[in-house]
Amino acid sequence: MPLPKHLRPRWRYLAVRIETWPDADPSRKGFQRAVWESARALLGDPGSADAVLEVLRYRFGGGTGEAVVRVRHGEVSRGRAALACVGSVDGHPIGVRVVGVSGTIRACEEKYLGETPGDPDHEDVVFGDGTRPAVVRGAAVDVRDGHAFAGATPIDLEDQ
Amino acid sequence: MTEDRYEAAVAHPEGRSTVARLASTATESGYDGLVVRNADAVLAEDPTITDGDPPDHADAGEDYDPEDDGGYLRTVTAEYGVDVVSGVEIDVDDPSTAAGRLGNVRSRERTDYTVVAVAGGSEAMNRFAAESDRVDVLTRPLRRAGAVDHVVADEARDHGVRVEFDLSPVLRATGGRRVRALRDLRRLREIVLDRDAPFVVSARPDSHLRIRSPRELVAVGEAVGFDRETVEAGLREWGRLAGRNRERAGESFIEPGVERGRYEEDDR
Repeated sequence: MPLPKHLRPRWRYLAVRIETWPDADPSRKGFQRAVWESARALLGDPGSADAVLEVLRYRFGGGTGEAVVRVRHGEVSRGRAALACVGSVDGHPIGVRVVGVSGTIRACEEKYLGETPGDPDHEDVVFGDGTRPAVVRGAAVDVRDGHAFAGATPIDLEDQ
Repeated sequence: MTEDRYEAAVAHPEGRSTVARLASTATESGYDGLVVRNADAVLAEDPTITDGDPPDHADAGEDYDPEDDGGYLRTVTAEYGVDVVSGVEIDVDDPSTAAGRLGNVRSRERTDYTVVAVAGGSEAMNRFAAESDRVDVLTRPLRRAGAVDHVVADEARDHGVRVEFDLSPVLRATGGRRVRALRDLRRLREIVLDRDAPFVVSARPDSHLRIRSPRELVAVGEAVGFDRETVEAGLREWGRLAGRNRERAGESFIEPGVERGRYEEDDR
């Protein structure tokens, strides 16, 4: 039986954009785990239980992704703080940005999310001291730099 | 006075992302400006300088403009709509080496970088930075615990040196290291606010993935005891500082003969 209306929790939905280096493919499960770990470390058990921070929608591909994270009404600031402290998922560095807050999942998705980036291109670019393989996604150019990447943009590249 | 919010980042080659990539992400995250903490290393590897010669500051004389060097920082500003500020962070172990470096990048007559910072961490370096009129910002004062007391805060206030609230360990450290960082940050905040010393706030990102938006930093700050206004003021202070120093540079470098601006007087 559903709870009487005044006892039901009220929610806010955070629209979250995420970004990684091209060699990472964070799973929904991994992202959820990282959010909860971050919340627990920053807010403690009671604070993290209050905030809830459930990942309801998630998609990721080609170095970028988005998620809808449910947070208890009145806990938006603490939820935002916990998300900001998510620095990696499964050992891969991750950029996290709350781009909007809505009262319903649908409004959250329609207003703030739904960007479908095309598949990134793989190209050789001239960066620094030589030609190197790179993954290009619009204005984002991730250049292979040894075992890691360097984050660049088209204005960092020399014409070939 | 500017209401714009600035972040201060470490760029490629010392960081993992170029100034342009940091600027692009900073704009998307709601920043109006970006201080490049290592403009010295960035400009030495300026991708627009194809012959490989680093810019020679000494020959430029009084027309020298740090933000027009090689055109790169200015190009990034134009491309991404975020005010890119040239900065340098002197990071050495002892005050005498620091004094030498400081003399090389800034004198009464000229400054090679719009923002000049000294990385602290030891008692001696924190005190040196706080007592130097030519230093704009004392960064990372907590790298080694407990090295800022009320005396350093008073000196920083009297010499117009901003003390940095470095949020990077709050965002990125874990376990006992984070607990110690939080404890030290709280102590620093209490001392700095009590002595009315100027301050800046930063997450010290060294890649575009480590940039967090101003709202996120406010939220993180609130979770660890900063009030909203303190974090926002600290993000704005970078921009205010850049504006003031550019004005001074314009007065003292572009119009020789007019009274030269000094770093140690009036508007701190």
